[in-house]
Parts: sequence; structure tokens; C-alpha cells
Amino acid sequence: MDLRAVRGAALAHAAAAAGVAGAAVLACTHQGAPPSPPAAAPPPAVRYESHLAAGGVVPAGALLRNPHPGDAATARSGALLFTAMNCDGCHGAQGIGWVGPNLADGRWRYGATDGEIFSSIYYGRPRGMPAFGGVLGTEGVWTLVTYLRSLPVPAGVATESWESR
Amino acid sequence: MARTASIAVLACLGAAAASNTQTAGPAHHGAPGQDGQWLMPAGDYAATRYSRLADITPQNAKSLHPVWSFSTGVLGGHEGQPLVVGDTMYVVTPWPNVLYAFDLGREGYPLRWKYRPEVSANALGVACCDAVNRGVFYADGKLVYNLLDGHTVAVDARSGRELWKTRIAELGNGETATMAPLVVGERVIVGAAGGEFGIFGWIKALDLKSGATVWTARNLGPDTEMRVRSDTFQPPYDQGAELGTRSWGNDSWRTGGAPVWGWISYDPELDLIYYGTGNPSPYNPEQRPGDNKWSASLLARRPADGTLVWAYQFTPHDSWDYDATGAMVLADLTIGGQLVKALVHFDKNGFAYTLDRATGRVLLAKAFTPVTWARSVDLATGRPVLEPSKQTGVSRGNVKDICPSLEGGVSPASPPAYSPRTHLFYTSTSNLCMSYATSRANYLKGTPFVGVDSPYNAGPGGGYLGSFIAWDAARGAVVWENKEPYPNWSGALVTAGDVAFYGTLDGWFKSVDARSGKVLSKFKVGSGVVGNPITYRAPDGRQYVAVYAGFGGDWALLSGDTRADDPADVRAPADFLKDIARHTSQGGIVWIFGL
Repeated sequence: MDLRAVRGAALAHAAAAAGVAGAAVLACTHQGAPPSPPAAAPPPAVRYESHLAAGGVVPAGALLRNPHPGDAATARSGALLFTAMNCDGCHGAQGIGWVGPNLADGRWRYGATDGEIFSSIYYGRPRGMPAFGGVLGTEGVWTLVTYLRSLPVPAGVATESWESR
Repeated sequence: MARTASIAVLACLGAAAASNTQTAGPAHHGAPGQDGQWLMPAGDYAATRYSRLADITPQNAKSLHPVWSFSTGVLGGHEGQPLVVGDTMYVVTPWPNVLYAFDLGREGYPLRWKYRPEVSANALGVACCDAVNRGVFYADGKLVYNLLDGHTVAVDARSGRELWKTRIAELGNGETATMAPLVVGERVIVGAAGGEFGIFGWIKALDLKSGATVWTARNLGPDTEMRVRSDTFQPPYDQGAELGTRSWGNDSWRTGGAPVWGWISYDPELDLIYYGTGNPSPYNPEQRPGDNKWSASLLARRPADGTLVWAYQFTPHDSWDYDATGAMVLADLTIGGQLVKALVHFDKNGFAYTLDRATGRVLLAKAFTPVTWARSVDLATGRPVLEPSKQTGVSRGNVKDICPSLEGGVSPASPPAYSPRTHLFYTSTSNLCMSYATSRANYLKGTPFVGVDSPYNAGPGGGYLGSFIAWDAARGAVVWENKEPYPNWSGALVTAGDVAFYGTLDGWFKSVDARSGKVLSKFKVGSGVVGNPITYRAPDGRQYVAVYAGFGGDWALLSGDTRADDPADVRAPADFLKDIARHTSQGGIVWIFGL
């Protein structure tokens, strides 16, 4: 198993300080306690971008808003979480794909909005994506979403030619 | 013991001693009893993958051609092999583990039936390395195999009806079931994968009639859980009680891996089953000080109650992901003028071991592929002589030029063959090396527990990444080698016609002269081969060879551009297999070749 798990000194620091994954999560996300689904932000409904909304009425889940869109500090915390929670064990370092799909190709099985990516992580997905909402809480999941949205998307992967090699 | 199992025992003894006359198999669907069936994953209990059929020879093999093919309807690594029982061929697919029964007595081999078990899709996220299945075992009219989500099923071979289904493993703990069961008498021996998830590795026996669990034995941990008794446990190089906990610092055995995802063989005279265990978890060795027994080891147990009789560790304190789950081939060899009841094993760590299968003592261990992590194996202690600069761990940073890579000198999924006529073993190899940068891994139940970055590069020798070799296990030497452009990932088959068979990752299926390696025939089978060829005599009286095509079986192979099934998952070529996607992509095809 070749895991491109580039886990730097920051993770070692987090792990040494915390010892267990749950505590490492807290260290990374500045949270007090692992939240049960908070009353203020109800868990979103599952929604896939490719799904058509009956009657043209989009379920409430799509209205979820990332509290940290584009925030670089949150994205850096999310990078630590990505390794601390073993996300890289399936999706590869920097999310380039392993047994789980590539998260850095700009393509999404279950929808590309922040709210849809939140749902994928919080509730899990079929074919093996575990639900991380229970251990991460909403803030932890948003932190990961912000990190994933910060990853550079490579250009030109759609066509591969051997003629020019 | 059931009649079929008794016959299989005879077949095993015959292959090992190369002296028995041909034995008859069970009649099935009214077909006459006939030799040339393939009733268990390795063909016999000794795991030789040798057939006494001799119609196909080096003289006529050039006319081998495909006579039939069938799409399994499933993409992914088609490891394992078909079975042939009487006039029926059985094929199990990767997840979702569909079982097909083909009628070899009718034109076009139409299906008799098709069994579609319910298998959780969640298993796809827990199987470390593609959703593979390594095969079905036939015994007492039943087909027994594992479902990826941690169940063993028995299916009636005649009707396709499910007879029992037993949960053996827990997905939530990181366990999946990919290995091929072995049936000895009334015992179905099974194990679970999960060395990348920090499982607490085990092997267990189910009752063939009911599916009930008869015994469970851990591969690590307290003696009582390992079924070790001080009066009967005699490891050749170790002493003392509680080795399965004392050799793990920080109580790390609790999440120490040592899975069972390969093959099991059986010696009916010694009444011992032999199997290898996988890597210790996590990959970062500094989190588990000590030898980490019995990970990366060979264990010999009594099939009746699981008692551990002896164990030998190929790679103490494994620091390179060198699983020992490759096949254990039982053969009686003449070594130094003496006939020895031997066991031969090609390990991921790059050494081929010849052991005394009664005691576990190592008689000979030689590199069969480039090795840099150790200089040799000390036969007095059984331990590798380590190369200090190739030891790994967080404190050692990024360690480069480790050979073999963690894909192994050969993948354990690619079992060898042994011919009692040539006295040679035949195996695929991978010629890859790696860098290994570890980091502290956090255990979070049901998620990966690994902690390494280990990119691969081509091994020494220039321009070839794998090969198919003939190996003299009495001398520890390569007799001939067919170099291949890509790591070779198929199992081997050898016959009394002195023809050997293998497939390649770029999708060729080849027959070669077993004495010289000369290629006799080759055919492009539509997808890379990671399965194991078998041979059988069909109802028409002729010898055929069957093999799966179906690239995959390891995410190192699927990590790049070789897939086409998901528009939301597009990746660049894997850096060590840049052109493989030019020659193959995923598939799932059963092929039959004849003269």
C-alpha cells in the first residue's frame, strides 16, 4: 500500500500533544468538546448535485453555508485534520486519490458545493466513506471542507496522449 | 472426513511424492469420474498448482488458442482462479462476489445457475487494496468462499442454493475477507484482511455442515487467545511464554494487525495447516517496539482445534510492510543428498525460504529478487542480518533505495507452482524498490492505521519491473528468468507436459517451456492478469487451461490512469507505471484456452 501521506512536523506536534485522534481533532479545530449535532445548525439533508429536485424545490441542506469560505488559516487546520483523522489513508496525501477517489481533481461524485461536500463527510457515502460527523462535529467537518476547497486542481487531466511521449 | 476431501488428500500426496497413479474425482451432474479436475484454490493441499495432465506439451503449445470467454460483469482485480468439478466450472468475482456455474458439457458453456449474495458496499472502503476474492473451495458437494464484507458462505454445488452464511469478520473494526478458505475434514479455515486498519488478527475454523464457529485463534496477543500451550508449542528459534504480548512494546499488539489474507496449505501426514500472517500495524515501526510476533510469520496449527504447534517469523519487527501471506508450498525435496519434507515460501521481503515443515527450521534462504534491507538470513538463529541504513521509523526520516518495495519481491496474491518432474518452483516477481518515510499514525477504529509515504521506483537491472522465474529451492538459485516490462502479478501453473503458464500486467497470457522458459504461445486477453491459471480435462476428454483477466488487486496498480469507470475520479499516471494504461485497463473476463 503506497500512501502518499506527507505528514509533517505539524502533525507530529499535534499527535504528541494530544496522543489520541479525538484530542488531535480538538487541537486542530479549536473546539471545546466533540459536539453532538448542534441545535443551532441542524444537520443538512443529503443532496447530490446531479439529482433533480422534485417540483424544482431544493431541500434545505443545500442552504448550508460554510462559515470559513476561503479562509487560509482554517484550510491549514484542515490539512492537519486530513492526516490526523486518517483521511489520507484512503484518499492519499493532498487528496490525490487512493482506494478512495481523488478529491483534488475538481470533480465530485456527490456534488461540488461546500454544503454537499459537508454532507459527504458528515454522513458518509455509499461504497465505503465512513460518517465522520460523530467524531468531528460540524466545525471539524467545515474545517475539512475548507481545506479540500483550497487544494489546487490540476489542468489537462481529461485527455491523456501517448503519441507525444 | 468427506469423500471428496479424502480424494483431495490423495491428490496432495500424489503431487508431493510424484509417485501416485492418477486419482479419480467425484462424479458430478452425472459426468463420469475423471481426473483433471481443479477442486481447491491451489489444486491440491500441498499448494503446488501442478497438474498431471500432459496433453499440452512444448511441442504442441504453439497452437493453444482461446476457445471461450465470458465477461463477469465486474471490474476490478480478478485474483484467484476458477474451479472445475466434474463437468462444471465455478467462477467467483471480486465484490459483489457473484458465483457463476458454467456447464462445460454444452456448446458455449451456458450457465447452470448464478448466485448473487448480498454484500455490503461499505466493504469497498475497508478493503485496503481493491475488492478482490482469492477463490472458492469445493468439498462434500459444497462451494465455500468468503464475501468481502466479512462473511463465509456455503453454496450447494448442484443447485446454487445458499446452505449457510456465517459472519466471520467485523467491517467496523477494519476487517474484510478476501482470502481463499481451506477445508480439512469438517473444518473450514478462514481469516480476515486488515493490516492497514490495526485489526487484532486471527484465524478461525467453521463447521462445514452448519457454518458454526468451532475455534478462533489470534495470531498475536496472549497465549490463551493464540491457542498456545506450553507443552505443545515448539517454535524452532524462540522460547518462553506470552511471546505474542512480550514482543510488542506499549501493548501495541491490541491493534497490531497480523491479518490472514492469503493461502493455507495442509499436510495430512503431519496433520498441520500452514499459513502466513500479514504486516504488523501501523507501518511506523517505532510505535510497536519489539519483534511483533507473530506478524510477518509462518504458523503451523492443528486443524481440529487450532493448537499452535510452531511458528517462525520471516521479518521480525517488520519495518517495510513485508506481509508473509504468500503461499506455503509443500514439497519433498532432495537437499544435500537427503530427502526432506520441505516447505517453500517466496516472501515479500525478497527471500525464498526452504524450511523443514515438521519443525519450522530454516534450511535455506536466498534472495530471489534484489534485496537491500537485509544482507542474508542467519540459519543458526533464523533471523535476517539487517542492513542498518535501511531500517525505518519516524526518527530515521525518509529512507531511500529499499528493495523490494512493499509490493513485495512477489505479491502474496500471486502464488507459485511446483513441478515434481522438473523439481523447480515457478513464480512471478516484482522488481521495484521504494523510499519509506514514516509518520506517527493515530488509531481511529475502522479507518486506516498506517503512517507512511512510500513511493516506488524501478529496481536495479535496467528497464524491467518484473519477471517470471524458475527457482531451485534445494540450492536457492534462479534457473531461468523471463523478464517482463511490468511487475508480474499472476499466479503460476505447471503441468506434467512440462509447460508452465502465467499472465502479465499488460495483458498477455503465456505458455512457456517449464525447463527453459522459452515462450511457446501468447495471447492478449483484454486486461492485465492478476489471477491464477488452472488446467482441467473437460467432458470432451481434452485438456484446457483457464485464467481470469482483470487488472487490479492493488491500489498501486489502480492509483493512476488505468480506470475508466468514474468520471468524478480522474488521476494522473502512477509515476512508476507511466505507460501501463496504454496497454491495459480494468476488466473482468474468464478465458479458456485449448489446443
